[in-house]
Amino acid sequence: MMHPSELLSALLDGELSERERTQVNEHLATCSACEDELNGLHFARAAVRSLPLLELPAGSRPAEEELGDVVHMTRRPPVWIAAAAAAILALFVGMATILAPPTTLEVRLDQLSDQYGARASLEPAMTPRTPMPVLERVAGPIE
Amino acid sequence: MPDDAPLTWEEVARTYGRKIYNFAYRLTGNAHDAADLTQEVLLRVRKGLAGYQPGSFEGWLWRITRNAFLDDVRRRTRKPTAALPDELDRLSSLASPAPDQVLAKVRLGEDIQAALLDLPYDFREAVVLCDIVGLSYDEISATVSAPIGTVRSRIHRGRKMLKERLQ
Ligand SMILES: [Zn+2]
Repeated sequence: MMHPSELLSALLDGELSERERTQVNEHLATCSACEDELNGLHFARAAVRSLPLLELPAGSRPAEEELGDVVHMTRRPPVWIAAAAAAILALFVGMATILAPPTTLEVRLDQLSDQYGARASLEPAMTPRTPMPVLERVAGPIE
Repeated sequence: MPDDAPLTWEEVARTYGRKIYNFAYRLTGNAHDAADLTQEVLLRVRKGLAGYQPGSFEGWLWRITRNAFLDDVRRRTRKPTAALPDELDRLSSLASPAPDQVLAKVRLGEDIQAALLDLPYDFREAVVLCDIVGLSYDEISATVSAPIGTVRSRIHRGRKMLKERLQ
């Protein structure tokens, strides 16, 4: 086998077929150049994976209590529209807190979203039925 | 949560927001840009979920993330900075750790981030999707619309360059 080169990265990532893996491992047993290269690749891979997973900064963090970006209506509605909208929303949303100062209408999405049924009736398009994806593939060093 | 539970925008945001932020942060080295991008992606997800066809959700989400990122890059003329105020702030606020350890850790993180930023975009993207986001080669291939052999090559060459800069 020629020096497998880029198959070495795929080997580290578990992305080789059974047959490829066997061939690469057989080659590695006899080729110190490729073994050195593999060590270097392992080092680079581990370095990137050692970077800390940073927290979302406050304000963009979509945790439950902060899910919302506040939706600002860009064109200021007349006060009576804001009041009417607030009244209608209050009917749907129940306990949700609605801020309706005279100049802007603000609806906190997180508070809306706490009311699942209310959100579904307001925005039926937002609840497609889809399977939950497999989450959180952990990017860790190889064994 | 049962498998057939509806996937809502809130769940997407809660589950993936931090990953999207880290993807953007490691590609740009800039906390503000990364935060802006995360918001933009979540907005696009909210709009797009209605038309989402069940399939590879990860592929769909990361394509949206990548497109938002590339749109953002095109819109900006300034170069991303390599400063890491976040990490420095985080570490300096820890309760009295051993100073040498902290310095070594910050230094190392800075070096790795700087080396990432030195990579050509295609290589950096492939490495970040693989080693930060944790996607498989198949998923990366779908995300960046490139054959799997190209993905393999980009990851490999990216790592070789990183090794040269870091060792
Ligand atoms: Zn060899």
